[in-house]
Amino acid sequence: MWLPILFLIIGVGLGLLTDIRIPDVYADYLSIAVLAAFDTLFGGIRAYLEEKFDEKVFLSGFFFNVLLAALLAFIGVQLGIDLYLAAVFAFGVRLFQNIAAIRRYVIDKKYISKKLAKWRRN
Amino acid sequence: MKIKQKVIISLVFGLIGLMVAIQFQTNREPDERDTRDLWEIRSQLQEEQKFQQNLYQQIRDAEQTIDQYEETSESEKVQTLKDSLEKLRSKAGLTDLQQPGIVIDISPLFVENENGQPYPSIAPDLLNRLINELNTYGATDIQIANERIVDITPVRSVNGETYVNNHPLPSVPLKIKVLATNPERLKDYMEVSQSKDDFAIENLDMEFTYEEKVNLTGYQGPVQINSMQVLEEAGEE
Repeated sequence: MWLPILFLIIGVGLGLLTDIRIPDVYADYLSIAVLAAFDTLFGGIRAYLEEKFDEKVFLSGFFFNVLLAALLAFIGVQLGIDLYLAAVFAFGVRLFQNIAAIRRYVIDKKYISKKLAKWRRN
Repeated sequence: MKIKQKVIISLVFGLIGLMVAIQFQTNREPDERDTRDLWEIRSQLQEEQKFQQNLYQQIRDAEQTIDQYEETSESEKVQTLKDSLEKLRSKAGLTDLQQPGIVIDISPLFVENENGQPYPSIAPDLLNRLINELNTYGATDIQIANERIVDITPVRSVNGETYVNNHPLPSVPLKIKVLATNPERLKDYMEVSQSKDDFAIENLDMEFTYEEKVNLTGYQGPVQINSMQVLEEAGEE
């Protein structure tokens, strides 16, 4: 569990240190891609906690979601419809659901472990 | 979890971190830096100092007037008041003046044209432009034909005729008298001004002559300032 967090920190550090900037035109695509990435990240954590984690699903989900979000934004720009809002909405809802699931899982685990400890003491 | 799995997930996490960092940096506004060099700052400082001196000068003038009021006797007070009033009246353009200035002769400019040409007249827009230009180049008092230009003078078109101070302007040729603190300089400016070209387009010729004594009549009409009010509280004492 520590290795991914280490890599996350390395990635953030790398991004901040290299001073890469995306042109304003593509900033929308990146922001939607970041949202998709967050969604995948929390989805992955949730799946891991629920012990249903599959790296194929995780990997394909990450790339597919990011690309789909960018594509949706692109089509939206071409058609003059704010289609990226659909992606923002979908990912936003899923993000909250995933975080809620993670929270519930963590609470359950603590509760059960406490109960178990109590039971053992008795 | 297998080691291969861990590595793949870690790489994805690293990618996500990179994306977030780039997004963060893209949205961050670059800091506004002061890029002025020493000379620019110095010249700006000088400008501010000049402004400050100007303000001090104004304060000194006002204080002098106050001193005059306070130190002098009743009759002199009245005299000071009268002086101030006269000064203000002359500033507002209500008094006759005789000062060095320039006289602009506006005459029709005839061009060879087989169709003939209509007799030229001065449009209000043209006149307004001329007045603006004269003011830009330091004119203090202007009189068009017999109409003294004051702060509330309207220049407008009424039934196709140009009215100044609500009186119709006589047809060309006519004289525009202009007073300035530096009339010769004003004349030089006007010789090469945009107005000369603009008037030429309307078939009007301008000629500038400098005169030692230019007589201006005061503004005769009533000064109505309906939209102006006396401010009760004029700053702190």
